[in-house]
Amino acid sequence: MAKVTVDGREVVVPDNGNVLEACRIAGVDVPHFCYHPRLSIVGQCRMCMVEIEGMPKIQASCTVPVRDGMVVSASSEKALAARNATMEFLLINHPLDCPICDQAGECKLQDNAFAAGLPVSRTSEPRRQYPGYDRTGIGPHVIADMTRCIQCTRCIRFCAEIAGTGELTFIERGGHTIVWTHEGKVLDNEWSACTADVCPVGALTTKDFRFRKRVWWLDKARSVCTGCEIGCNISIEHRDRQVFRFLPRPNPDVNDYWMCDYGRFRAEELNAQDFTRPVVKDGGSTKETNWGDALERIQKAVDEAIKAKGAASILVIGSANLSTEENYLLNSLFRTRLGVPNVEFVVDNGALRRIKNPKAEGNQEGWLKGLESAPNSRGAVAAGVTRALSDSALEKLSSGKFTPAVLYVADAAFAKKASDPAFVQAARKAGFVAVHARTKNALTEVADVVLPVASLSGKEGTFVNSQRRIQAFSIAIVPPPVVRTDMEVLLHLGKRWGVFDTRWTAGDVFELLKKEIPLYADAERESRAVAGYPAVISPASAYDSIFSPEEAEAKLIAAAAEGRNG
Amino acid sequence: MSGGANVPVDSLPGQPPVGEHGALSCGKDVKFSEEALAEFEKLLTRYPTKQAALLPSLWIAQREFGWISREAVDYVAGLLSLSPAFVWGVVTFYTMYNRAPVGKHLIQFCTSISCHLNGAEEVYHECRKKLGGLKPGETTPDGKFTVIEVECLAQCDKAPAVMVNGDDHAVITKDNLDKFLESLK
Repeated sequence: MAKVTVDGREVVVPDNGNVLEACRIAGVDVPHFCYHPRLSIVGQCRMCMVEIEGMPKIQASCTVPVRDGMVVSASSEKALAARNATMEFLLINHPLDCPICDQAGECKLQDNAFAAGLPVSRTSEPRRQYPGYDRTGIGPHVIADMTRCIQCTRCIRFCAEIAGTGELTFIERGGHTIVWTHEGKVLDNEWSACTADVCPVGALTTKDFRFRKRVWWLDKARSVCTGCEIGCNISIEHRDRQVFRFLPRPNPDVNDYWMCDYGRFRAEELNAQDFTRPVVKDGGSTKETNWGDALERIQKAVDEAIKAKGAASILVIGSANLSTEENYLLNSLFRTRLGVPNVEFVVDNGALRRIKNPKAEGNQEGWLKGLESAPNSRGAVAAGVTRALSDSALEKLSSGKFTPAVLYVADAAFAKKASDPAFVQAARKAGFVAVHARTKNALTEVADVVLPVASLSGKEGTFVNSQRRIQAFSIAIVPPPVVRTDMEVLLHLGKRWGVFDTRWTAGDVFELLKKEIPLYADAERESRAVAGYPAVISPASAYDSIFSPEEAEAKLIAAAAEGRNG
Repeated sequence: MSGGANVPVDSLPGQPPVGEHGALSCGKDVKFSEEALAEFEKLLTRYPTKQAALLPSLWIAQREFGWISREAVDYVAGLLSLSPAFVWGVVTFYTMYNRAPVGKHLIQFCTSISCHLNGAEEVYHECRKKLGGLKPGETTPDGKFTVIEVECLAQCDKAPAVMVNGDDHAVITKDNLDKFLESLK
């Protein structure tokens, strides 16, 4: 550890740190563009200039390693003059079209110019233009506009060092420099939209989100990606009951600063809500009904089945898409209270998803890998729901060897199997079929009762990822009226057999999990380990600190208290 | 708003058209000859990393293929296990890699101060006139000559100096221009 004095305040910094980090820890935010804690240090933007005692010239603080006893003046007149000069140079060729730039509001250049730049421009010359290289798709997910580029090379370094694909490069030099791909190639890798995240300006923006919503209107909620078993921490960005985008929520133990394009662009799927009222089959026709009626039909069918054929005639299908809390309630209602032996789930193996994080527990050659296409198979198992094997009731149902008297499916899209015609045909033969569903599929067509449930954005709970980390997600959007969360549905259903209290929250169920599931015994729902880090204000200026997200978080909270960024 | 000071006003010699920053295609697969490949292998032993051998490898490519095409970039990138984008970035950084075809003889007239004082511009214009009124950077229809203007060739004692491909030619004046061009044919 090294003791460094920044603007008169002494701080202790790890030996491998640099002066920029030391300043940040001391509470002095040195403006910067090219520095990113997970990318190599290039000292390209010249924005983070500080004065260091014993060094005759001002230094780019990101490039200077800390030394014990170092005395840094981050806010001296000389340092400020140097930074203002850099800012003026950057603005000579920047178009200053913030009103029509989609990065506005989360742009580091805008923020830093606002904080420290000159109030007026001293240049009147036309800005640099790049005919053919502005507002052009550079890949399937990213739009590039080179007129806005400030040549920080974050995107180039991201592609070379994190993605390992190296699609981007500087072409030409000096005033003609552009960032582009090699002729005939496109920016297309598994994480290409992360280049838009790290881009401090509006040079790279994502095609899906571009011009959809001004970023300062967006509310943010901590959540977890459900695309695979890695469980990348995300923030759900929403406005007016509509989800607009996912952003990676930095977590050094899981997804670091990244997330894959597949997970990211699943965001707007959450807006689909086909079922807004319980739907029941009466004779041949379907009709909408109220919750009391729908749940009563289920209760009647279950009670009759148990009386007539025994609890083994019932099949309950949980899901790796449901939270551990929901799977736990499902299991304790049907298996523990009603004695149903068949409470099972099945999970698909999808395409391999990867996140580069060499420091994370359970990484393989630097990568976290996710094969299962659902987030919570480990949580479902921990909650007592059985993983369906070849001799399980679920498999017997699909092969036609078992016809349950009641089939209760807690997630209509539990796996690919749910829309497999053979499975649906077999399910149709069951005496009574009830499903929780948000969107229509083949299974909801044959169900006797469809219970409308909210998407991930309307729920809270915990998932257990491939590293066996418990990760909490929270509510972004209150579900539409009448629509309930899976947990509420199960609580109301359980109340009919006198096991649950409908006033329970996800927190109350979490307390039950702590008592009954060893994996959850020591978990604290509000702790850093479970809740992760806060949703970020701007992906480009997300607390990009190698040492302590806590420090950065404290700053975010202070900023919020001051009413900034709010 | 366009036409800022940084937009090139004219095509540069050995360079693709204005506004075109991508690598041009030569329309066929390229490959080093056996001698070039042997030279390349020898190069690799002189550098700590493969990446370090990029510039000399591109020289070999330019000598072999005459100019650096998209296919040449891909080929060199493959040889050195680099991304083609990285190689193209290096090619575009340096001015002496030809990014478009040039004639068999690339005649480079120095017009820096010593040669300028000795009338290099006149010789330069005269030479282009003699080759059929070539514009700067243009190639004769028979594909033999390209004439361009360059900065100092470090031959100030022999001004006006000319470089043809890699070879120096000293004191090229209006008087011996004919002889000089004849010697190239």
